Amino acid sequence: MKRIQRMPGWLQRILFYLSILGPGLITASADNDAPGIATYSMAGSTYGYRFLWLIVIITVGELIVQEMAARMGAVTGKGTADLIRERFGVRVTAFAMLCLLLGNLGTTIAQFAGVAAGTELLGVSRYITVPLAALLVGFLVLRGSYKRVEKVLLVLCLAALSYVITAFAVRPPWGEVLRQAVTPSFSSDTSYILAALATIGTTITPWGIVYMQASVADKGMELERYRFTRLDVMFGAAWGNVVSAFIVISTAATLFVHGIRVETAEQAALALAPLAGESARYLFTTGLLGASLLAASVLPLSTAYAICEAFGWERGLDQRSREAPIFYGLYVGIIVLSVFVVLIPGIPLFPIMWLSQSLNAILLPVLLVLVLKLVNSRRVMGDWVNSRFQNVLAWGLTGLIALVTLVLLASPLLN
Amino acid sequence: MLYVSQMQNQQVWDAWGQPIGRCADVLVGAVDQNFPPVKALLLRGDTHANGDRFIPAVCVSSLYPSITLNVPQDKCPPYTPAGDELRLLDRVLDRQIVDTEGRRVVRVNDLQLARVGNQYCLTGVDVGGRGLLRRLGMEGLAQALARLLGRSWQTGIIPWEDVAPLHQEDPLRLRVSHDRIVQLPPADLAAILNDLDHHTSAALMETFNNETLADALEESPAEVQVAVLSHLEPERAADILEEMDPDEAADLLADLPEQTSAHLLTLMEDEDAAEVRALLIYPEDSAGGIMTTEFAHAPIGLRAEELLDYLRQSEDARDDEVMYYIYLVDENHRLRGVISLRDLVMAAPDADLTQYIDLDPVTVDPYTPQQDVAYLVAKYDLLAVPVVDPESSILLGIVTVDDAVDTVLPTAWKKRLPRFF
Repeated sequence: MKRIQRMPGWLQRILFYLSILGPGLITASADNDAPGIATYSMAGSTYGYRFLWLIVIITVGELIVQEMAARMGAVTGKGTADLIRERFGVRVTAFAMLCLLLGNLGTTIAQFAGVAAGTELLGVSRYITVPLAALLVGFLVLRGSYKRVEKVLLVLCLAALSYVITAFAVRPPWGEVLRQAVTPSFSSDTSYILAALATIGTTITPWGIVYMQASVADKGMELERYRFTRLDVMFGAAWGNVVSAFIVISTAATLFVHGIRVETAEQAALALAPLAGESARYLFTTGLLGASLLAASVLPLSTAYAICEAFGWERGLDQRSREAPIFYGLYVGIIVLSVFVVLIPGIPLFPIMWLSQSLNAILLPVLLVLVLKLVNSRRVMGDWVNSRFQNVLAWGLTGLIALVTLVLLASPLLN
Repeated sequence: MLYVSQMQNQQVWDAWGQPIGRCADVLVGAVDQNFPPVKALLLRGDTHANGDRFIPAVCVSSLYPSITLNVPQDKCPPYTPAGDELRLLDRVLDRQIVDTEGRRVVRVNDLQLARVGNQYCLTGVDVGGRGLLRRLGMEGLAQALARLLGRSWQTGIIPWEDVAPLHQEDPLRLRVSHDRIVQLPPADLAAILNDLDHHTSAALMETFNNETLADALEESPAEVQVAVLSHLEPERAADILEEMDPDEAADLLADLPEQTSAHLLTLMEDEDAAEVRALLIYPEDSAGGIMTTEFAHAPIGLRAEELLDYLRQSEDARDDEVMYYIYLVDENHRLRGVISLRDLVMAAPDADLTQYIDLDPVTVDPYTPQQDVAYLVAKYDLLAVPVVDPESSILLGIVTVDDAVDTVLPTAWKKRLPRFF
């Protein structure tokens, strides 16, 4: 550990930035977790470049939403669940937490589905790898070497960069790509709407909001330093979405043009073939595993924490399991249930991965509305309430998601 | 039993059966008492024309099953808040409070009121599952289910006298609750401060005296220590560092930015600062890093009674928190022997102590790794090990058993995870 030591000023400054660059980078990497990669691959291979405009909108939406969450954490020093409970009482909290639990359970299932799909691509049965992954995740988090492993997993996530390289290597029609990125395209087709919702729901997530606010609140920073955090959040969100867009572009340029609609991990891995050839599946699996394990470590923990925080139950890893039974029960329960779902014989892994994200998007407006009410309350935020500009964008996003959900419900009637 | 959740938003009727608005809050006074009396209700008018106003408790005839006044609406005198009332719905319900009996932070699911004589009083805080179910409108269902299963059901109600509300906006009332909180053991106090959000714990700590704060900080994780100290005025921070054990203070200073720690050291009293500086030389996980320089020592060659007298006069002995052993040194402060406090106390007043003194005690040098110190402590069943300079054999300090085993016990991993999880 550090004692008083001679550390050059520039080194201190870099360390300072690195210590702040954190939550943003993790949530951004988790954007391209297993459900993320599945969703973007499915979207790109099925609809070509038609989803690019949506990704542009989502990027703005994620910037706004994550910044609000970080600001609430910095100003109040409290978690999202804590604020919701204090402001809205038990009933609203119970509903919001139920939505959070459902969404996060779906996403955790998708992470383990990602582990299953990735390792089966290498020829190892999911009945071996998924329980192993669950044990690994539980062990890492409970035994606490998580912080070190987090860095390893973040490095594995860099495998997603190969999509960026692939996209350039296959020389897509850039003019067409740019045109689609700025031209909205709609369809009332049910599967199109589900895909659109999944694209939204895998990027802007309930757990991303909760996790972001918790990590910022946890640092207990002075508000003068908040601008650094905002930088991290902005950087993270933008970065994650650039990668997402390139996944869509490369799958569109490699699979969509050949009429391959991704329904399995095997097909999804083909998108990397122009870059890696025969080793595409290894590259694909690396990225899938890194991001899945990272998200599977953070998700159940932040879910259990938020719920216990809202209802005032004992929580935190510094409690022993007997002192915090609900906290540990939720944590273990989410992981075990996810593993069981993934191990149901014959369950289609790839659709699970992206459909869980449609569910996430449908549940998201509940949390968004509550967050927006909180972040606009002067009693909670003082002078740090939303600007009119932020409100217009955030309410616009919430309205958009709600609208798309309504269209989904109405689509059987429309067709 | 009456709960405030049952009054929340309830229609209020005057003596003539006229609806006059809804109950928006309940104000109690004298919150430092065991049963704070209800002083007034906050009435929210149904229309904009009659907005919020207070109804004094004397006008209220009953609160449950319906809230009725004992006078017609226009005969009800206005109530002006004295400023020391507590708004139960706004400030207490759904918030976190400290359970001083259970020594933990809990969330208020409901508040229990009872009629005492002719007035209503706040009696307890419901922190249990039953309060949650009541708020969800499922208490009856759950009760029926429990009866069906033949299970009795505990209520999670804590008496008001055992809780301390926390309001950062309100220093006046914080004083009341803080009296109850500061009497907790430092380890529990640290756990509570750690459970609270940064702003609330900072506000709470503002009210502590230096000694309480120093004790609590010694038990806190490094991040909390740093956060707390950097929020304080430098002068106060220096005072608190003086109150802390030198080894703890050194650890904390080592975690602060160099400029800050150097500044704080200049603000500390010379003697304390010198002790801390001496400790800062050594790595944090070495004997020198975890030793304390406050220990009982005495010149060698005294008789039992003389030695006891010497210790009573000694400033260093007074600062020694445990004093398992007395270290005997020569005029150059070189370690010559060790005598346990037990042997010293049991010896006859004029006895020659030589037979009790261990002339070749187990020692470590300041760079001995903490792991090795823990091993020695366990192997020789020691309560403390002297740290001796290997060249001059000058006694530098001692490592007590609790500091030595810190690394061995699996508590260290806690520090690596975000506090929030």
